Amino acid sequence: MATPVTRCIIKLHEEHHNLEDYQGGVPRWCSGCGDNAILAAVQRLCRDEDLAPERTIFVSGIGCSSRFPHYMKTYGFHGIHGRAFPIAEGVKMARPDLHVFVNTGDGDCCSIGAAHWIHAIRYNMNMTVILHDNHVYGLTKKQASPTSPIGFKSNTTPRGAVLEALNPLTVTLGVQNASFVAQGVDWIPDLLYDIVSKAFKHRGFSFIRIIQRCPEFLPKMFEPWLHDPSKTLLLTHPNGLQPSAETSRIYKNQREHDPLDIHRAREIASTEDPIPVGILYQNPDIPCYEDLRSAGTPRTAERTRAGLEAEFDKVTIWPEDGRTQQRVA
Amino acid sequence: MDMAAKSQDQMVFHMTGKRAGDGLGAIDVGALRPALLAGYRDLTRLRYDFPLVLPESCAGPAYVHSLSGIVNALIEELAPRGLEGERLRKHVLRVEREVRAMVGSGATGLLSELWASTAERLGAGADETVGKVLAQVGDSLTIDGEVVDCGPQLATRFVTAAWRHAQAQKAHQFQALVDELVRKLSDIRRAAFARSAAGQQPEALAASIGSGHADVFDFDVMSKLVARGAPKDELPAARRGRIEWALAVLCAQPFYADPTGTIADDAAYDFAFDNCAAAVAAYRARLPHLVEVVKAIAIAELESSGAYVEIDHDPFFERYDENALTADDLALFPDYLVSIPAERNDAPENAGLIEMLSSGLPVKVLVLQTDLLEEASIGTGHFAFGVRSARLATTAMGLGGMFVLQATSADLYALRDRVARGLSCRGPALLSVFTGSPAAAGDLPPYLTAAAAKESRAFPAFTYDATAGTNWAARFSLENNRDIDADWPVEPFEYADEALQRVTAQVAFTYADFVLCDRRYAPHFAVVPRDRWNAAMLPADDWLALPEGKVGDRIPYVWAVDADDGLHRVIVDTRLMQATRRCLLLWHRLQEHGGIHDSHAERLLARERAVWEAEKQQAQEALQKATATATTPAGGTEAAGAPAAPAVAAADAAADKPPSDEAWIETARCPSCNECQNINDKMFTYNENKQAYIKDIDAGTYRQLIEAAEVCQVAIIHPGKPRNPNEPGLPELVERAKPFL
Repeated sequence: MATPVTRCIIKLHEEHHNLEDYQGGVPRWCSGCGDNAILAAVQRLCRDEDLAPERTIFVSGIGCSSRFPHYMKTYGFHGIHGRAFPIAEGVKMARPDLHVFVNTGDGDCCSIGAAHWIHAIRYNMNMTVILHDNHVYGLTKKQASPTSPIGFKSNTTPRGAVLEALNPLTVTLGVQNASFVAQGVDWIPDLLYDIVSKAFKHRGFSFIRIIQRCPEFLPKMFEPWLHDPSKTLLLTHPNGLQPSAETSRIYKNQREHDPLDIHRAREIASTEDPIPVGILYQNPDIPCYEDLRSAGTPRTAERTRAGLEAEFDKVTIWPEDGRTQQRVA
Repeated sequence: MDMAAKSQDQMVFHMTGKRAGDGLGAIDVGALRPALLAGYRDLTRLRYDFPLVLPESCAGPAYVHSLSGIVNALIEELAPRGLEGERLRKHVLRVEREVRAMVGSGATGLLSELWASTAERLGAGADETVGKVLAQVGDSLTIDGEVVDCGPQLATRFVTAAWRHAQAQKAHQFQALVDELVRKLSDIRRAAFARSAAGQQPEALAASIGSGHADVFDFDVMSKLVARGAPKDELPAARRGRIEWALAVLCAQPFYADPTGTIADDAAYDFAFDNCAAAVAAYRARLPHLVEVVKAIAIAELESSGAYVEIDHDPFFERYDENALTADDLALFPDYLVSIPAERNDAPENAGLIEMLSSGLPVKVLVLQTDLLEEASIGTGHFAFGVRSARLATTAMGLGGMFVLQATSADLYALRDRVARGLSCRGPALLSVFTGSPAAAGDLPPYLTAAAAKESRAFPAFTYDATAGTNWAARFSLENNRDIDADWPVEPFEYADEALQRVTAQVAFTYADFVLCDRRYAPHFAVVPRDRWNAAMLPADDWLALPEGKVGDRIPYVWAVDADDGLHRVIVDTRLMQATRRCLLLWHRLQEHGGIHDSHAERLLARERAVWEAEKQQAQEALQKATATATTPAGGTEAAGAPAAPAVAAADAAADKPPSDEAWIETARCPSCNECQNINDKMFTYNENKQAYIKDIDAGTYRQLIEAAEVCQVAIIHPGKPRNPNEPGLPELVERAKPFL
């Protein structure tokens, strides 16, 4: 819908959506699960941006959080474990006009899907990626994930996890072409909404790590942060988050951080206590893979045919040696 | 002879423009030129912006290159460091100089051709290998195009090249859009055919498989099979009609030549004109076709995305006509280029031009100006200051909503980005360019005349870009004028005095200096012999800086050099100095537009400064008075400020405190986790942002409130005081509620 007339026509007759228009099935997440807060923030975003449900798709892998597409009344693709990114990339390549969201958990993204994750960052395709990080495999009833803290006792680590937890922020910021990296927590809903909104408006691979509670298997994990606002560090900037007066009254621990400063972003990303919340890095100048590949040339049937003919000609064995090669017009 | 007597004939000349006696010399019109131009006698020996190379292809990122820039890039790429490289550099620079001289003397052609002929000539006159090496260097030229010097034709060619470049980019975008839409509409048609009865016939199925494996299939059976299971959703006739109409219009659009050859170059419309009337007539004649293409694009976009709703959109398109077109719609199509030659730059053409610009048509107009010093049409001997073009540019600025550029041809290369911006902007643009004086004015090279016009403020460069911002400061620019804060640009000028000692003077280049370049106005000047120089003579810029009433017996002069570089003082008559003063006033007006010496701002600043100083004075007096009386103890000041802190604390306390004894929720902090709703979804519900609030306090018990507060992980539920004093177990509940109050 590029031309002004079409935009005008669409505007004349466009439908406006309520939050309920984006509500799919009733969530089966546990009571108190942080996924609910993320779902609410995303549904608010869809309503506020008036995203056409038929032009919006949520792609997920496997895990508690990956049930997300079921709860959105848009298109969805509940994929296989760790493969949310390649599916979403395929969708974006075929249909660059769609709004593509990816919901992935800490196991789905950082373990089995880690290779896809790294390359998805490098490709910088225009999509919004939400990493639901509750530090545990919940759907399969408590196994340690790559982001589980050291010492965490689970079914797979009965004596406690022996490895230091992986930090998804520092990993993302270490990959070439990272263009948007943010962190939110499920228990500050207005900032969560602001972050998701900023991520959606960024053109490129917008990676949000959302630290969320798992009331079933890690009920006490984030209590210190829930009850002590000073243990949350808000990153503010005119180009980043600008917390409301109400939020600032509660969360007084704030620091101005320019999202263009990647070195500072890496330093902040390494901090675990206080938990940094805000836009760590944003660079709008990094090109998107789909833009580089398309280069403005539409894939017409004729061009595809001509390209294939050219490729086939390279390996064609002509009937008689020495005769002039005849190409199919 | 006293000074007054000595300068009397000079004063007479200054006042009347008439030379009395033989004390003053008429200027040698062929030889005298402003002193600051002394160093520019042979332009071919200078490396500067000109000549320019205008590439034939519009595919590159730039539409113009400087010959010097191309040669610099060649040297950097090909000449190695050291002696070998030094020799090559020397030869390549010699070719550049030769090409510059050839073009300066009227030669034309492509850079590759001029380079080849020069290399051959240089090779013939010296070492044979020199010619071969230079020819090889010429083969390394990655940029080729017509070589153009700063002459009368430059502005037209330059602006045309920039316009072609801008249109090529537009064409590329338009073609990509149309290609994409045609592909999508064709896909819809192809899919519809595949689902139709005709598409499911054995012959159609065989054609879709191709000849390679045709023998493997039984298409009769396949036809029956696919017909049985296929959905029956043939393309409705109305939709098919719309799609085919849009395809036909898009494929036959004549606004851009199609690179695939569907629309031949000669079948596409021409958009270059040399007068406004022809451009407007063409625009009007093509308007219905343009409306059709806009409609076809919109219909194609809606159809290809499945968004066309007949009941809504059919009436819209039935009523859609040229009145509905916006500047954004027109921006899809080529802009009209109107190049008005100097001889057509007359009042009727200008009237049509202003009307055309004010209507907002997508036109880019180049107005050429060749005579800034023509006499006013009323014939009183007054200078006209190029009033026709100057008025055009300032009038166009007044119309708003467009791009206006005024520049001399000598500045076009330096302003190439602005020219490109003007030619690619949406809406109309006016480019008013001074290309050099007519032949009657003298034989100064056009580049020098044009440069002198800008330096003397006779034709200053400025741009007005309506899209650059919301205020005048963002839209108007005086960049590329030298010393824009000053009345006149000032240059150091070195000469040898009578004792052959070096003297450095700061010499201003004024409007009178510019007029000195024009032989038609020689009678306004008189050369003063060196032995008659006196203290009453004053440089023209200093003379102008004096208040008009204090000029007295001072006589203005400008520095000039003759053909042998002898230095002269040339006095100027009153009429020309009046014109020079008027030129300065016009420059001051432009300065104010550019925010320099802004009289409104200066007046405001003076007023504010006066207020500030008065307040400061009052404060000082009050302080002195307080110190003198010293009746208030030191703590008094603190006491006066003391209430502020408790007020802030009270505000904080008020913000923290619950509004009343009623139950309440910090809704903005609710993470939507459903815990409270699981306890009682009639008491707790979500707002439009899916965050909890107490909808009906009477829909549940105090116990449920307490339970909800206890399970809420972010502790945002405040149960308040119990409303029902008879609720069972109340004392225990009140105790449990305390942490959440």
